[in-house]
Amino acid sequence: MKTRLLAHTPYEELRDGFPELDLKQLLPHLAYTFAVEKISRACSHQLVRHRVASFSQQSQRYITVKRLSERVVTPPTVDDSETFHELIEKASEAYQRLVESGVSKEDARFVLPNATETSLLMTMDGAALFHFFGLRLCNRAQWEIRRLADAMLTQCRDAEPEVFENAGPYCYMLGHCPEGRFTCGGMAEALEKYRPDSSS
Amino acid sequence: MAHTPNVETMIATSMLTTTSGAQPSTLYDRLLSKPGKVREVVGRAEVQHGNILEHNRMVWMLESTGDEVLEATLDTRFLTFTRLGETRWLVSGNLRAVVEYAQQRKTPLTDALVASVKDVAPNVHGFLEDKKR
Repeated sequence: MKTRLLAHTPYEELRDGFPELDLKQLLPHLAYTFAVEKISRACSHQLVRHRVASFSQQSQRYITVKRLSERVVTPPTVDDSETFHELIEKASEAYQRLVESGVSKEDARFVLPNATETSLLMTMDGAALFHFFGLRLCNRAQWEIRRLADAMLTQCRDAEPEVFENAGPYCYMLGHCPEGRFTCGGMAEALEKYRPDSSS
Repeated sequence: MAHTPNVETMIATSMLTTTSGAQPSTLYDRLLSKPGKVREVVGRAEVQHGNILEHNRMVWMLESTGDEVLEATLDTRFLTFTRLGETRWLVSGNLRAVVEYAQQRKTPLTDALVASVKDVAPNVHGFLEDKKR
């Protein structure tokens, strides 16, 4: 997985141009565009549930998936699972056979697994991005999207430290865990991890 | 007042991301040094696939009455307004919002929005001007 903040609205220009507005009021007017690369289709399905965002994703209607076994995201829990790797091989063979027999890519892709790699451009406004961080940096979020959110926050803090010093999982932003009985119990560690001057 | 940089480079990156198989960051870096290629790719954009126009944001200062702003917010859900004073507003949105609003209505506001994107997205601006004729 790789992510890069390609472009963003310069916060300083708005902060100086509109001193009567605070960061919270300016956030919906700021936008952040990321290249998100080599994540699984399982992860991209979760991403697009954040509806206040824009996505341009590699299309399996136009792009042939070559050498599927080299283009999958493998969860650590199944890394040495024969079942997983056998299924990827079978899906790869089935896809190739269908494409070679003249089936269109848009139909052949139906045999591709959720593990298949994908890349996309994603743009979110500042308010939506803070909400994304709040949810997806939580210890209860799924590991791949949490890892992605972590990398995105690092890039945002490098580019706009003044805007993102208070961004993090909701427990960090709110000062309490909103997960109720599902709480991970790790709020103290999260506060330490996302403290801006923390080296982690 | 402000905008995200390299708006048309991002439009071309978005278009090629969906169809080329190259990684979006690689495409963006390549296109930054190829304005001719950006012009060519953006020139063949089919704007009905509007999401390619969404990877940017522009911010405007608007002098307008409350009634005019109410009308605009009823016309388009995709511009964001913050009131600064009696007749001053901070407005922002992406190029898709501008294009679709301008295609749907012709008002002093849509004319001003279209005029304001001339330097930021000259090819898209040209497309909108051609549509007017």
